[in-house]
Amino acid sequence: MDAKSWPLITRDKQSFLRRETSLPYLLIAPTIAVLAALSIYPLIYLIKLSFQTGEGASARWSLANFTRLATDSFFLSALAHTLVYATVALTFEFLLGLALALLVDRPLRGRTVFRAALLIPMMLPPVVVGIVWRLMYDPNFGAINGALRALGFNTTALTWTASPALALASVIAVDIWQWTPFMFLVLLAGLQAIPQEPYEAAMIDGSSWWQTFRHVTLPLLKPAILIALLLRTMDLIRVFDQILILTQGGPGFATETISLHIFRVAFRVNFDYGYAAAMSFVLLALTNVVSVFYIRLLQRQEAA
Amino acid sequence: MTARVRQSKQPVAYPRRARRLRLAPVARYALLVIAVIISIAPVYWMVTISLKTEIEQMSPSPEWINFTPTFVHYQSALFGRSFGQYFITSATVAALSTTCAMVVGTLAAYGLARFELRARLNRRLSMWILSTRMLPPILSAVPLFLMMRDLSLLDTLASLVIVYMAMNLPFVVWMMRGFFQELPREMEEAAMVDGDTRMGALRRVIIPLVAPGLAATAVFCLIASWNEFLFALVLTQTDAAATLPVGIAGLVTQYEIKWGIMSAAGIMAMIPILVFAIAVQRYLVRGLSLGAVKG
Repeated sequence: MDAKSWPLITRDKQSFLRRETSLPYLLIAPTIAVLAALSIYPLIYLIKLSFQTGEGASARWSLANFTRLATDSFFLSALAHTLVYATVALTFEFLLGLALALLVDRPLRGRTVFRAALLIPMMLPPVVVGIVWRLMYDPNFGAINGALRALGFNTTALTWTASPALALASVIAVDIWQWTPFMFLVLLAGLQAIPQEPYEAAMIDGSSWWQTFRHVTLPLLKPAILIALLLRTMDLIRVFDQILILTQGGPGFATETISLHIFRVAFRVNFDYGYAAAMSFVLLALTNVVSVFYIRLLQRQEAA
Repeated sequence: MTARVRQSKQPVAYPRRARRLRLAPVARYALLVIAVIISIAPVYWMVTISLKTEIEQMSPSPEWINFTPTFVHYQSALFGRSFGQYFITSATVAALSTTCAMVVGTLAAYGLARFELRARLNRRLSMWILSTRMLPPILSAVPLFLMMRDLSLLDTLASLVIVYMAMNLPFVVWMMRGFFQELPREMEEAAMVDGDTRMGALRRVIIPLVAPGLAATAVFCLIASWNEFLFALVLTQTDAAATLPVGIAGLVTQYEIKWGIMSAAGIMAMIPILVFAIAVQRYLVRGLSLGAVKG
């Protein structure tokens, strides 16, 4: 009887193990399928479109889209706006966020209230952010010019988003308003994860606040800083929603970013999918540089 | 050195000189209060506009407190225009896409967190899944628009549900993978020794343990779908599948802008999100950093 039941058990165990070896693949397969169909296939489609002119049956392979890009001053200036927008917003968001995090990273009465209140801008739907700031920036009855008039300033020249000179700065200010809380939150979490010992050592050495900040806090905060900067950079490169609501890229072309320009070329003005695809291709390359950097960082962190 | 260290609930007594920036408490509170005012005042301004009559809105000297609130703009947003319908569309799309993404993504997350795959596939697949999220949405806007057009799915809720599911999927996988990895393997091994199957152990032992994480992840997906604007704009052309952000944007681009209705609609779009955000406060850092910082 024993002799009979042994092989049975073994076979059972084998099939169990086989199930276990195929199970993870079965669990992961649906996700891979969805992403292949809706993330990877569109990307291949995009690359194909960018190397074609004309649509459907009349489509022909050519490099025309890319040669056109190199001399298209609209595209180049949209690219420049995106880079200016990303650089300026990132700098201010980081510095302000770090300052706020340092202010809050200590025993503080009412900390939860401060934290929650500071986070509100970030939680708003981007379209709503656009509306909030249209109401603030309106030259005639907006809150900003109203307040300035009450203080005795002449506001006739201050048309904010409607003025070619101020428009880009105005939309960048909105981004800083909305996303400084993100930097604050991530950096605060990073600060609170720093253990106590290095500070004790620094204190025994009698180092000043600045020395401690420079040689203890900053190095230990580096992982959080890098993550925050990279995530923000990727979001800044793709900025679209608020600008569409605030200025629609105007006045003229003053606040047209790359996402907005691709959208306009593909869906509003020219319906030129191939050309929009070629511009997207450039954006893809740009994003790739950032995301490769980011993924390396995460991998190193996972390994640690 | 990672940023993922336990959260100390009670702030430890910091050694005096070294850590604290020496600043009079008054100055510190003053700075924080200014920051809070800057954060909140613009939103509050929108609230006042939504409650003012059109004459009061157009006043050249802004009135912050002293006005008689009227709810006429909320009424006309809900009943005079299609905002009730946009609201329902947004809620439906968000709920369906979140459900799909959660089911599909949680299974994959479990597979990636608990099994050793061949050729270091665990990490490679995780990174690949993450990298799909790095793509700016505008990249897939043109291809997805053409795909949906060829499938005759433009202007349908289905197209938005499908696209939002794919948008949220990498996020779900990463968040849930983190939550699963935090549970010791012995949990389901114990259940399996007691005769449970792997899936049974997952359902009866593991899922209840990660329930808070599941809920938080789902809320993040709901927020992302609710706020999404670009795809909603590209894939819908009529009111048949227009979501709340698209409806609001329609008001902005009109020739004559109705500030009151626009503000009222904005507030209605914002309130569910604020409620959700409060619900996931504990997981906010983790969600926003894709699990990289476990604050």
